[in-house]
Amino acid sequence: MTQQNDTKTVLKNLSEKKDTYIKYETDEVITWCHGCGNYNIQNALKRALTLEDFETQNILYCFDIGCNGNGSDKIGGYTFHGLHGRVISVASGASIANPHIKVIASGGDGGTMSEGINHLIHAVRNDYPVLFILHNNHNYGLTTGQASATTPKGFAMNGSPDGVLPDPMNPSEFVLNLNPSFVARSFSGDIKHMTKVLRRALNHKGFAFVEMLQVCPTYNKATPQSWYWDRIKYTSDLKNYKANDIEKAKKLTKDLEKNIYLGVLYEDPKKENFIEKLQNRKNLKTAPVDEVKHYSISKFFKEFE
Amino acid sequence: MERTTIKVAGESGMGLLSSGHIISRALKHLGFYMTVDREYPSLIKGGSSNVQIEFGIKQVRSLSTKVDIVVALDRHGLLEHISSIKRNGILIHGYERHNFIPELKKLAKKHGVRVFYLPARQIAKSLGGTSVMVNMVLLGFLWRVLGLDAKNLKQEVSRQFKSKPALLNIDLKCIDAGYKASDLNKISQLKLKKNKKVSKTILLDGTDSISLGAIHAGLRNYYMYPMSPASGILTYIAKTSHETGIMVKQAEDEITAVQMTIGSMHAGSRSMLATSGGGYDLMTESISLAGMTETPLVIIIGQRPGPATGLATWTCQSDLNLAIHSSHGDFPRAVIACSDQKSSFELIQHAFNIAETYQIPVIVLTEKEILEKYSTVEPFKQNTIPIKRGIVTKKSDLEKLTPKDRFAITKSGISKRWIPGTSKAYFYANGDEHNIDGKITEDAKSVSDMMEKRMRKETTLKNNLPDPIIHGVKKNADISFVGWGSSKTVMLDVIDELKEKSVKINYLHYDYVWPIKEKPAIKFFQNNKNIYLIENNFTGQFGKHIEAITGKKFKSKMLKYNGRSFHFDEVIAYIKKRIKSKR
Ligand SMILES: Cc1ncc(C[n+]2csc(CCOP(=O)(O)OP(=O)(O)O)c2C)c(N)n1
Repeated sequence: MTQQNDTKTVLKNLSEKKDTYIKYETDEVITWCHGCGNYNIQNALKRALTLEDFETQNILYCFDIGCNGNGSDKIGGYTFHGLHGRVISVASGASIANPHIKVIASGGDGGTMSEGINHLIHAVRNDYPVLFILHNNHNYGLTTGQASATTPKGFAMNGSPDGVLPDPMNPSEFVLNLNPSFVARSFSGDIKHMTKVLRRALNHKGFAFVEMLQVCPTYNKATPQSWYWDRIKYTSDLKNYKANDIEKAKKLTKDLEKNIYLGVLYEDPKKENFIEKLQNRKNLKTAPVDEVKHYSISKFFKEFE
Repeated sequence: MERTTIKVAGESGMGLLSSGHIISRALKHLGFYMTVDREYPSLIKGGSSNVQIEFGIKQVRSLSTKVDIVVALDRHGLLEHISSIKRNGILIHGYERHNFIPELKKLAKKHGVRVFYLPARQIAKSLGGTSVMVNMVLLGFLWRVLGLDAKNLKQEVSRQFKSKPALLNIDLKCIDAGYKASDLNKISQLKLKKNKKVSKTILLDGTDSISLGAIHAGLRNYYMYPMSPASGILTYIAKTSHETGIMVKQAEDEITAVQMTIGSMHAGSRSMLATSGGGYDLMTESISLAGMTETPLVIIIGQRPGPATGLATWTCQSDLNLAIHSSHGDFPRAVIACSDQKSSFELIQHAFNIAETYQIPVIVLTEKEILEKYSTVEPFKQNTIPIKRGIVTKKSDLEKLTPKDRFAITKSGISKRWIPGTSKAYFYANGDEHNIDGKITEDAKSVSDMMEKRMRKETTLKNNLPDPIIHGVKKNADISFVGWGSSKTVMLDVIDELKEKSVKINYLHYDYVWPIKEKPAIKFFQNNKNIYLIENNFTGQFGKHIEAITGKKFKSKMLKYNGRSFHFDEVIAYIKKRIKSKR
């Protein structure tokens, strides 16, 4: 299908499902800066959720502290707005206790790659059933533009007037090295692409890591929209890119200077997620949330007699 | 003799743990009541350790400093514990180095101790056993000294080692050899008082008790990052998880553990975690989050002495103020303190009910002593504490909900809570200050209203909490104590003992240490004149709260901060001195 046809189908589907789509909208005043990448990311998510037939009743969004977290009361669905750097853990705890709801978490590059990077590492290892969206705007937005772990080397930031000294991290490449089950990268300037990637991520049963390269017109002068457009490439334009070869994905993801590839970089749809791996719950049809009642402990007394 | 005390001492790894289990179970089946505790260093093998078994024909809840019999498995055990034996007490050992005997004889004479030697290692070897089986030979001999039938002992040895049948045979032979060692006929056996009837008891520690309580209360998601002395809870819940189906996750750190617990609770499960003081320190920001988002949370702190790593394998009550004051901002919470097996089993169930009903963090305090000390107790009663979740579940009620119900301003401070996904009326759980529907607000009035609403839950909770309990005489005591936690076990034993000697004594015990009920303390100070604090920390943390609410001072404070628990004979001696000086 050509790109144009694709777009047309999506829009047609969206208009057919406008009643669902509207439910994701709220009348809260949005507080993001003019031109912030968060608008598009949230809109892409709303589109993806609509197109994949999710209902606001069955979604729990978990928000980190940061600019994107200020959207925690501006979308339809249950939300939990927690602590800086901890969103992956709180979302994971919710998702394994109650798989009847779709758990979607989001955090900035500050919270995710610095304050709470251990949570990211172990969530990937454990493959909790969570869609995680990294809002990578290359800086600490909410605290007014300090350097983050992804700020390009040499750029002067609030608190780093001589320029950032260490090399930046490459989040998608980092996660690809953790034996993940789903890694994708997209760009806040391309709502269609984000929607496509998110639709696939929403259907992944394990930990789906989606990095959104995000413009920050207020504090990130180093990598504005045009900088990205000059460098962006799509995996869909590569011949035979299948997203099932992790070594290929790593190679492709490395470059953050010349060719920045977007798309689903790697996916293993068959990998058992955290819940499926649990030996002691193999034959259970219920989830923990359904099981809260008095449990008879009589059988355990024998040991103490 | 009312209480008989045996101490088995040696290196960690010499079979102390199994000796303790075998002796105590065998005694239990003979109808004795007992308490058993271990002392050991923070090492896996080596270092001096001991297990102490104190038993009698009535409830024994605490241990004494002075013992009747020491069974020493190595030289260290001999030297370190000979001074803890009562006059005319017995030391049993198998230490072969004869050049050491003169020194030992001298020590024994000094302490008035009778020494019995058995070539235990040779005996074990000659029967094809290993040097670890020294303990079996000496146990056999101990049983003879106690004047008990070897049958029970052998039954318990068989039970302990049933998974190692090849070695079991040798173990049993070692027991027999120790029991029958022929040159020991001259030994005068103890004449233990026995109960005619063997009443039904269970023998277990606070770790198993609190785990069983949580399992019974419908725990479904358990998280933990290992830390002594709380790690045993992970062991127990994991080991039974194939029966219970509980989802157990050892998290990558304490912050993850508490965040996952909050996530699971928010999503509608019953979830909890356990840690010790240091691990709890790492969680404090998250406790504050639970307070703000009104997410129920249950955290167990197994106390061990700090600061820092402190004494990893010893006991204390020094994290009370941590539990009460931790975390930034004002928010309501409950702090509940276990004191023994039964209270561990029951209070953890109440903790879940309080956490869910009031939508607050509940910190359950326990201690190394409570977690690891095991005693004979009445079998736990099930289904006596109903599960109260405080959630909207009825379909028709769920349909009527609006987002504004979630944090609605109410008189009690409690608003409706429902599980995400169960109602069309979704809500925002916000760590930022929020309006009644969870939307972020910085409006002055809304902020005050919401703070006041949340804090009203503390008043409501306090009014609904049970009063602390006075043990012993109701009023006009010769001597009184106030305390919390494991202090109850030693105080109950002391009260039982002194009652017989017609000392009027009482003890005011708080299970619910925060919010603290003032009236019962004020009344206790009105009705009694000679009141002491008993508390296992340096500053008398709870005592200061009591003094603040009563406006009265304790006569004196019985404090301990060396990692050891309060001992029965130690408290008796403390009281005797105080009463004499008064009269
Ligand atoms: C424990 C803690 N430390 C620091 C902060 C202050 N803080 C708020 S947002 C933020 C960084 C935000 O950067 P990022 O995560 O990249 O999100 P962005 O605002 O750029 O979307 C920090 C440090 C906090 N809220 N909590």
